[in-house]
Amino acid sequence: MIDLLTTKYNYIAAILLMAGGLYMVVGDRNLVKKVIGMNLFQTGIFLFFITTAFVEDGRPPVIQEGTETYVSPLPHVLILTAIVVGVSLTAVALTLIIRIYSEYGTLREDVITEMETDD
Amino acid sequence: MSERNTERRERPYTESSVIMSTVRVVAPFVFTYGLFVMFHGADSSGGGFQGGAIIAAMVLMLAFAFGIEPTRRWFKNTAIVLLATGGVLAFLFIGIGPLVLGGTFLEYEVYGFKKATKYGIEGVELGIGAVVASVISGLFFAIARGFEFTEGQL
Amino acid sequence: MITLLEAALLAFVLVSAAATIVLRDVLAAIVAFGAYSLGLAMLWLTLQAPDVALTEAAIGAGVTTVLFILTLTKTVRPPTEESVFTPINWSAAGVAVLFAGALLWTVPAIPAIGDPTAPAWTNPEVTQFYLESAYKETGVENVVTAVLAAYRGFDTFGEAVVVFAAGVAVLVVIREEQFT
Repeated sequence: MIDLLTTKYNYIAAILLMAGGLYMVVGDRNLVKKVIGMNLFQTGIFLFFITTAFVEDGRPPVIQEGTETYVSPLPHVLILTAIVVGVSLTAVALTLIIRIYSEYGTLREDVITEMETDD
Repeated sequence: MSERNTERRERPYTESSVIMSTVRVVAPFVFTYGLFVMFHGADSSGGGFQGGAIIAAMVLMLAFAFGIEPTRRWFKNTAIVLLATGGVLAFLFIGIGPLVLGGTFLEYEVYGFKKATKYGIEGVELGIGAVVASVISGLFFAIARGFEFTEGQL
Repeated sequence: MITLLEAALLAFVLVSAAATIVLRDVLAAIVAFGAYSLGLAMLWLTLQAPDVALTEAAIGAGVTTVLFILTLTKTVRPPTEESVFTPINWSAAGVAVLFAGALLWTVPAIPAIGDPTAPAWTNPEVTQFYLESAYKETGVENVVTAVLAAYRGFDTFGEAVVVFAAGVAVLVVIREEQFT
C-alpha cells in the first residue's frame, strides 16, 4: 500500500483527476461547468501518458552531446496533438452554449430539459 | 442617434492606463518570442503549435488593452481567413509535391536540394503556426461579437 | 522516490482541481481551473517534457481561460447567494467512485514510474529507433518535431484541418455569414 503511494503516485493522481472530471460532467447542472469537467478529464489522461514516457535520469528528447538516456518522445507527440484538438473542442462547445443561452435564456440543464419536454 | 454615434467615436476606449502602457511595451517582445519559438522548432523545444499559440495570446492581450473593436479593425477578417487557408494549403502542397515528383506523400527527400527534409519540416511548422494563430484569434473575435438574435429568424 | 518539488506540485494540482469541482460560482471555478493549468504546466517540466509544458501553458492556461470568461460575459453568471460550495450529487459521485475504483484496481500491474527495466525500454525496436535515427534521417535535433512533422506527418495534417474546421464551425454556429 505504501509501496503503491511512493512509486506510482502520478497514476493515482491521474485517476483521481479523471474521476473528478467525470463527476463534473455527469453531475453538475451548469453547462459551463460541464465543459470545465471535460477539460479536467482530458488533462488527467495527459498526465497518465506523460508519466509513462518518463525514465529515471532521462533528459528531454532533444539530441545533445553527452547524454545517454532520453525520455520517450512518442507520448509527447500524442499529447501535443491532443491538447490542440482539446482546445478546438472547447471552443466549439462554448459557442454552442452561447447559442443555447440565446434560445432558452438559461444555463441550467434541468430547466432546459423541462422546457424541451413541455413543448 | 447620430450624436450618440459621434460621441462614441470621440471617446477612445481606455481600460486602464497601467494595462495600456504595459501592453504597449511588452507586446513586441511577446511577438518576437512567438516567432522565435516557431522558427526554432527544429533545433530546440518549440514548433508550430507553441509559436502560434503565443502569437494568438499576444493578439488577445492587445484586445484586452485597447478594446476588442479597434483590435478587430486592425487585424482584419480578410487577413485571418487568408492566414488560415494559406497555412492549410501550404501544408497540403508541401505534402503533395513529392507525389508529383514520383515519391510518396510527405517524402521530403524527393525534393532535389540538400537538407530538403529539414526545410520541408520548417515549412510545415510555419504553416501550422499560421493556422493555429489565425484560428484562435478569429475564434476570439467571433465569440466576442456574439450572436445577435433577430426576431422571427430561427 | 518522490522529491519535495514534485510532491508540492502534485498537491497543488490536486487541491486546485478539488476547488474547481466544489466551488459553486462559475467565475471562481474558472479561475481555479486557470491555476490548475499552470500547476500542470510546471508538472510537465519536472517530467522532462518541455514541448508539452510550452503548449499547455500557452493554450491551456491562456487561451482556454480567456474563452471561458468570454462565454461568461456573453451569457450569464448565475447569482450565488446561497453557499460557496455546491451540494454533492450522490448518484454522480457513485458513478465517479465506481469508475475510480475500477481503474485503481489495475494500478498494481503498471510498472513503477521511471523504471528503466519496463518493457518499453527493454524492447529496442520502437523508442530507440526513433531516438537514434531521427537526426540521421531528417537532420533536425528535436525528436518530437521530427516525429510530428516527418514520421507522423499525416496525423499532423489531420490536426491542422481539425483546427481549421473548428474555426469554420464556430462561424457557422455564430451565424456570421459575411466574415470578410
